[in-house]
Amino acid sequence: MKTVYSYVKPYWLPALIAFILMLIELTVEIVQPLIIAKVIDDGIVVNDFNTIVFWGIVLVVLAIIALICGVTNSYFSSHVAYSFAYDLRNVLFTKIQAFTMATYLKFPTSGLITRLTNDVTQVQNVLFMSLRIMIRAPLASFLSLLMAFLINPKVALFLLVGAPIVIGFLYFMVKKGITYFSQVQWRLDRVNRVLQECLQAIRLVKAYMRNEYESSRFQQVADSLKLDTTKALRIMEIIMPALLLIMNLSLLAVIWFGSNEVSMGNAQVGELVAIINYAMRITGNFTMFAFIIIAFARAKSSAERMKEILIVNEDGLEVATSEREEVKKPPIEKIGTIRFEQVSFTYPASSLQVLSDISFEINPGEKLAIMGETGSGKTTLLNLIPRFYEPTAGRIFVNGRNIIDWNMGELRAMIGFVPQKSLLFTGSINENLKWGKQNALVSEVRLAAEHAQIHETVESFPNKYETRVGQKGVNLSGGQKQRLSIARALISKSRILLFDDSTSALDVKTESALWAALESENATMLVVTQKVRTAKTLDKILLLHEGKVDAYGTHDELLKTSNRYQQIVRSQEEEQVGEEG
Amino acid sequence: MNFLRKPFGYEPILKKEDLQRTPSKKKGPRASDWKSTLSRIWKIVDEQRFLLITVFFMVVISSALSLIGPLLIGTIIDQYILKGQFQNMAPIIISLIGVYIFLSLSLFFQNYWMIGIAQSTIYKMRTGLFNHLMKLPVSFFDKRQHGELMSRATNDIETVSATLNTSFIQVFSSLLTLIGTVIVMLYLSPLLTVLTMLIIPLMFTAMRWITNRTGKLFKEQQAAVGALNGMIEETISGQAIIKAFSQEDRVIEDFREKNARLRRTGFWALTYSGYIPKVMNFLNNISFAIVAGIGGILAFNGLLSIGIIVIFTEYARQFTRPLNDLANQINTVLSAIAGAERVFSIMDETKEIDEGKLPEHTKLKGEVEFKDVHFKYEMSEEQETLKGVSFHVKPGQTVALVGETGAGKTTIMQLIARFYDIENGEILFDGKDIRNLKQATIRSQMAFVLQDPFLFEASVYENIRYGKLDATDEEIIDACKKANAHEFISKLPNGYETILASDGSEISHGQKQLLSIARALVANPVILLLDEATSSIDTVTEVKIQQALELLMKGRTSFVIAHRLNTIRHADLVFVMNNGQLVESGTQQELIQLGGFYAKMLEQTDSFRE
Repeated sequence: MKTVYSYVKPYWLPALIAFILMLIELTVEIVQPLIIAKVIDDGIVVNDFNTIVFWGIVLVVLAIIALICGVTNSYFSSHVAYSFAYDLRNVLFTKIQAFTMATYLKFPTSGLITRLTNDVTQVQNVLFMSLRIMIRAPLASFLSLLMAFLINPKVALFLLVGAPIVIGFLYFMVKKGITYFSQVQWRLDRVNRVLQECLQAIRLVKAYMRNEYESSRFQQVADSLKLDTTKALRIMEIIMPALLLIMNLSLLAVIWFGSNEVSMGNAQVGELVAIINYAMRITGNFTMFAFIIIAFARAKSSAERMKEILIVNEDGLEVATSEREEVKKPPIEKIGTIRFEQVSFTYPASSLQVLSDISFEINPGEKLAIMGETGSGKTTLLNLIPRFYEPTAGRIFVNGRNIIDWNMGELRAMIGFVPQKSLLFTGSINENLKWGKQNALVSEVRLAAEHAQIHETVESFPNKYETRVGQKGVNLSGGQKQRLSIARALISKSRILLFDDSTSALDVKTESALWAALESENATMLVVTQKVRTAKTLDKILLLHEGKVDAYGTHDELLKTSNRYQQIVRSQEEEQVGEEG
Repeated sequence: MNFLRKPFGYEPILKKEDLQRTPSKKKGPRASDWKSTLSRIWKIVDEQRFLLITVFFMVVISSALSLIGPLLIGTIIDQYILKGQFQNMAPIIISLIGVYIFLSLSLFFQNYWMIGIAQSTIYKMRTGLFNHLMKLPVSFFDKRQHGELMSRATNDIETVSATLNTSFIQVFSSLLTLIGTVIVMLYLSPLLTVLTMLIIPLMFTAMRWITNRTGKLFKEQQAAVGALNGMIEETISGQAIIKAFSQEDRVIEDFREKNARLRRTGFWALTYSGYIPKVMNFLNNISFAIVAGIGGILAFNGLLSIGIIVIFTEYARQFTRPLNDLANQINTVLSAIAGAERVFSIMDETKEIDEGKLPEHTKLKGEVEFKDVHFKYEMSEEQETLKGVSFHVKPGQTVALVGETGAGKTTIMQLIARFYDIENGEILFDGKDIRNLKQATIRSQMAFVLQDPFLFEASVYENIRYGKLDATDEEIIDACKKANAHEFISKLPNGYETILASDGSEISHGQKQLLSIARALVANPVILLLDEATSSIDTVTEVKIQQALELLMKGRTSFVIAHRLNTIRHADLVFVMNNGQLVESGTQQELIQLGGFYAKMLEQTDSFRE
């Protein structure tokens, strides 16, 4: 399992270059005071004009070198930071695309969005800073400490009296920080969630005049985010003053005990003064130190959250199962057959069995109507065929081969799926239709649209097939969306078509034209429908009741044998009476 | 050379014309944009003026104490250590302990309060953005991706948050230190001070050059983040379709493209903003060289004492440090401005027009009239969706809207709810123009069951209560029983307390519709709008809830869109829509006798059935 930071590896070279450039710059900075001293000591003090000019030029040259290094560093470290973030986002997104529908239920959309944007940014910022400024403070502190020890180890040791406390304290704070910051990120998820919900339901919010209600709901999550962020930052903010205090008190310890050493003759006065100077330089870096620690804690908690996505293993992903057993693939029997063998299904994290013991078989070109009351499992049954979910028991065969032996892509390519909720994506109508077949010709797009009874409507739009569709197709009518969604499924000329109550918003005339057009497709069809008049025209009817097969047969058979079917027919016959009377 | 133009293959983003300043046109408004954005943020920050002043005092104290500390240490070195008088050090050491404790305390409290101020400001911006968003017209949302809007409330506001947390204190203390140092420098040598200051114009020029780029780049970057966010939200929400059509690769490809755009803008923004400290450092070094060099020459000529030069170089270094800090803060502030601008741009969108002069609680009788109504959606350019629709519905009448898909049925309902404003014509409630009524008047007396049922991530109770916030549990259960939803709700793990997920699969589409109907039942409206409210409900259940629906429609003005004739059966009036026009209207009987569209439709239904 790769960790989040392992994605820096491909950029080790520019990272190294950036690091070296930073070191050169730092060296220049350290050397500078020495040169100034030279100007003063060898030039000004002894009135040597040439020396002043010489070292002055050296100073300028060094400054230019530092500038070049610094500016070049900018390029390299930005490149590393952004490429790392770019790769990480791609990896995360690719992984998410491979999630099974069941895995999606575990991760709310809002949480995934935050991880891919905000969390990645947190880590990226830390990486960028590490390559530019972060190392400077620790390095400068370390060098100062080293110098202090070189001068007089015994006195310098007093600088470290606080060290055990500092280490313990920092360890504790970082641990705390990570927990607090992951809480903050989780709160951000919630803010995202409420916002997403309200955007999706904006018409509902308006229709019921609930904007104030939603505002108060949003205020709650925003308030929790505020409180947790404030708490996290305030806790972490203790670090800087606390470290400063410990260090300053250590400095006083150095002065106090150091002067004892001096008075006992164990140290020189000059040595003590020098160590005091170095100690003061160390404390000067502490703001940066605290900053680094906070940033790291925050990045760490974000990295943990991203890891939750990265560690999702095969069970939660869609791929692999079939490619693995390439050789053992049983042969295909007949193209266009679907067979259910004692299939049962329960949604993950639910105890309710949605489907139990379903068996049936359809032959190529046959058309099966699936009926049943709301919540009887019709949609779930369809969703099992393209393997959105895996049955908890039983087997499903498509073209005579168990669907788990099919390559996922192959399986889905054989199926034209029209979902209940006709979802379109931001883009043109043409782009949306081509989802079914990327390289579809204009004539193919048109033919599919004609069959789906939407061609004329599209032609009446000013921009025809290039008409832009808003998110989720908001600017189209319900029936138009449904027909576009049907066209999208038809374009690939699949031999198996699944319709999930996809004609509910169509008027009778359009619908009958649609079914007539579909005759020519010569495909095997599974059609979830409420309408007896649709079911009647299909070859067989599967009637579900509470997840079980209640009746299976032709319209006439069911009319004789099934009470429930009779009831459905009666419920729709009444309308005839209504019309006539 | 190529590397400089396209480092690592990143195409430059800013074009020449982006950077050219035509003095009167481009520069003017841009500078004022910054100013207005900053002043808007400041206005919110300033609401906590008392705390802000306290923070300011804390900064003054900590700045003073951090000066006194080294001074006292200096005294110790000069007066005691160097003189070998170690025995009398106790008092000064103790006072130093005091100084350090108070220094840490003042640092702690300034940060503590500043975080409070910053987070409150962020909270206000965020909720302000949300509140405004909820008041925007529906047409605003038609044009935008959800994820892109979400990015403004998260990613963009976060940039402001990061800045407020630290920049304020930094700018304060840097300014204080700067002023202090300049005073000391002036005292030591006015001439050298002026020499040191020589770099300031250079600094300004450099900063301008950089911020002129970063300002734009940060904006681009935030826009790229928004686009990416939009794409992520849309693809995850529509995951089932992507899977069904095996479009993962294409979506990933698309994502990479948007991600690459973010990388490119981010790279340039970060690179240019990375210049700032380096350039500042360089200029500092130069000024250092000037001071040393010219100072040396002056000393050479006996115009300055060597001691002063030595001390002065030390102060010159101290002078540049806060200047550096300030320069770095400019960057952070620029990125915050880029984020804040995107937030404020939404807050500047015009709200839903609600200029009704009639009092809010005008009770409606339910009379609805359309007079030659013309309407087109913003996105559909020239094509009119409604081409002069007129009708009159008396209070309590039930109207069935029929017609082909796309004929304008849903549009009529959306106009009654005033989701959109019309171009031409009049819509009247009880004879009063819709524009004279408050939004609240209309919507509070109306219930709308939408084509796409939606559930919030909340309990069943809360979801139904949406129709009437003060509904009791009994009312809700009663409504659910009437809507035939009680049975399946009882089977849920926690019954009415079960938390429903809006994107979960445990509730079927038809069940969602039942809940939406229950929601409308609870609302007890004067005007009822049912847009395909029962389309996914099986007919047996539909028959069962028919009674409830009839009960619901009784005594209320109701508009119903349905394709199933038994839903239309009980309507008082039938409106037949075709291509944006109301082609027939009347009772069922009248329309059948008329032998027009409606009669033909019935025939087709019958022939299809046979």
